[in-house]
Amino acid sequence: MTGIAELKLGNETIAIISISGTWSIYEKHPHAEEFIETILSKPSIQRVDLKFVDLKSWDSALINFLIRILDSCKSKNLTIDIDNVPTGIRRLIELSKTSPVRTTSPVSQRKPTIFEFVGRVGLLVFFSLKTFLGFVGKLLTGIVFFVRGKVKIRSREFALMLQDVGVKALPIVFLISFLVGLIIAFVSVLQLSQFGANIYVADLVGIAMMREMGCIMTGIIMSGRTGAAFAATIGTMMVNDEVDALQTAGFSIINFLALPRVIALTLMMPLLCIFSSFIGILGGLCTAVSATDLTIVRYCTQTAKAVCLNDFFVGIVKSCFFGFFIAAIGCQKGLQCRHSAEDVGLTTTTAVVTSITAIIIMDAIFAVIFSLLGM
Amino acid sequence: MMPKVSVKNLNMDYDNYVVMRNLSFDVQQGEIFLIIGQSGCGKSTLLKYLLGLKPVSHKKIFYDGKDINSMINLPGFYGEKIGVLYQGGALWSSMTLAENVALPLETYTSLNGKEIEEIVALKLSLVGLKGFENFYPSQISGGMQKRAGLARAIALDPEILFFDEPSAGLDSVSAKRLDDLILELKESFGITVVIVTHDLASIFAIGTRAIYLDIESKTITAMGTPHELLMSSNDKNIIAFLSRGTKIT
Repeated sequence: MTGIAELKLGNETIAIISISGTWSIYEKHPHAEEFIETILSKPSIQRVDLKFVDLKSWDSALINFLIRILDSCKSKNLTIDIDNVPTGIRRLIELSKTSPVRTTSPVSQRKPTIFEFVGRVGLLVFFSLKTFLGFVGKLLTGIVFFVRGKVKIRSREFALMLQDVGVKALPIVFLISFLVGLIIAFVSVLQLSQFGANIYVADLVGIAMMREMGCIMTGIIMSGRTGAAFAATIGTMMVNDEVDALQTAGFSIINFLALPRVIALTLMMPLLCIFSSFIGILGGLCTAVSATDLTIVRYCTQTAKAVCLNDFFVGIVKSCFFGFFIAAIGCQKGLQCRHSAEDVGLTTTTAVVTSITAIIIMDAIFAVIFSLLGM
Repeated sequence: MMPKVSVKNLNMDYDNYVVMRNLSFDVQQGEIFLIIGQSGCGKSTLLKYLLGLKPVSHKKIFYDGKDINSMINLPGFYGEKIGVLYQGGALWSSMTLAENVALPLETYTSLNGKEIEEIVALKLSLVGLKGFENFYPSQISGGMQKRAGLARAIALDPEILFFDEPSAGLDSVSAKRLDDLILELKESFGITVVIVTHDLASIFAIGTRAIYLDIESKTITAMGTPHELLMSSNDKNIIAFLSRGTKIT
């Protein structure tokens, strides 16, 4: 037997709601709205009586039903007697009424207009950029002090960090770079073979990997791997009060947490970029040799002819900047994490997205600069 | 006598909320001073202000009569002047217990490796963790992490020790053990202790003086010994807070 509620009119001025059966949130039960509607549609009703007949069991479903009825009666100044309500239910209703209600809200609930929205986003971007530049400034100061020997980095942790951001990243960098080289060569072969210019596959792959793809692909891999790890580690430290503990033990957060990471990644990125470029060329070689009549020696000779030292340095310079900014963004986002686990996830995602965006923007800027410099 | 810590007309906010206003109190040398109040009243935020982790206006918080803003950047303020035990211990998870305790010693003292090792062993044995030097925080229980955090907090023999909810998450036996340890440190080293707590057993067991932060009026509504607060206060919130499950004779 499910929950039953019946409305009877005692006389012109009294409405009686009879409640019986088993009230459960898992089963169908009457809704208060229908009763409220009927009661309010009869203006002659002055009082509502609650009658409990053969009530088997109840849960939140009945409490919610009664609270809705009570609130509606109260708002329309109708008398309602709750003396008949079983003690347990009455206590819970009273408890829900005595709970204090927070009246102030920290943020406006009003939906912002389009102008407010644009303004807010503009201000957010401006202040985020300002904060980030301040952070970069502190990092650069830290690097200067480190070079002058005024800031010390724990050598064991630093060595582990170098291993973590460098050596341990080699397999994934190898895989991605090899496949990228392979794909570039494959697409090139398809086009160039129509003109009998297969030999230029080596030029395309070599220059693309050395100048652009080597550092960009390594940057993207390191954003997703190392930048995210930095943000998550520091974010978790924020959640666990470890960062506060460092600060109250007198350590500079920048020098202790961010500096080793930034230096490690800035040092490792060029090496990874060189590795990535050569592996990409190897990938290109595999495709070219297997899909065309080129030999290994010819491919290598052509690559050496096509790629000049400038291309090599362009990749190295870019990867240094990419490494610095990936680490800086990861650390800064981690330090902005608030005290919740959800925030760690959000921080990590933001760090990756921001790093990848920054890499693409920086690459575009570098393209213009190197073009102006004739490199 | 000049108070060890002095707070004058401090207003606190958190995310645009005014959490507390007009807070004024003094912490005297060698006492165990409690900051109590309901959850969400701003006790931990007040602790952040006292520790200099949140920016504060000039002439609001003083240590030995000197403005906190003139002290936080001085070498020795953190570590030598103040030590902190955070709610979960806040041990640096990538380091062993010994490394956690040794780090401040390596950074701020001229002790050699062997001396540091000895002091680390001493501090860990003071908190009952002798032999746990090479354990990582993840390999020990929550109560042990707190004790290790305490060993780190007292590594540089600070003058003032701050505790954020020291008994939170501990069973009553571990909590009592930590209370006894706090009392012992206060008696033996003459350390001034400031504790943020809402643990009744600790409040009555170790508190010298307490302030009650009232969530409704957003200020301090009572100050005195925990017993004074309970016996002489007319404030229903304080009575409700302090009398839960406790019979005072």
